[in-house]
Amino acid sequence: MADADSSADKVWPTGLTEEQSEEIHRHLIQGTQIFGFIAALAHLFAYIYSPWLK
Amino acid sequence: MIYGKLWLVVRPTVGIPLFLGAVAVGSFAVHVALLTNTTWVKKFLNGAAPAATAAIEDSAQRMAAAPPTLVLPAQTVKQ
Repeated sequence: MADADSSADKVWPTGLTEEQSEEIHRHLIQGTQIFGFIAALAHLFAYIYSPWLK
Repeated sequence: MIYGKLWLVVRPTVGIPLFLGAVAVGSFAVHVALLTNTTWVKKFLNGAAPAATAAIEDSAQRMAAAPPTLVLPAQTVKQ
């Protein structure tokens, strides 16, 4: 007998299913990675073209 | 994905703005702290010294006032 909490169709207190929660999280992680990459690039340019750390 | 079930217990309408807001406030605070606690950021953003800028502008104005003229060497002029 399957545990009621592990059901894929169960709607949790936030109103989401496990699948929906995973999807939101996937997008959030991807956005964070893109933001991080752009920020790293910006810091590299700042290091090269400004007196920062010199 | 690790922590993928977070949004089952935290409402995305609360958690996502909180997360993005924390990132925005944190990064803004770091840059404001840099601007207020160092001297070089302000100097760098101000660009070149005013004296050097004035000299460049003066030179550009003189170039604009006197249009270029063509002066031929004497031997190339035939009469």
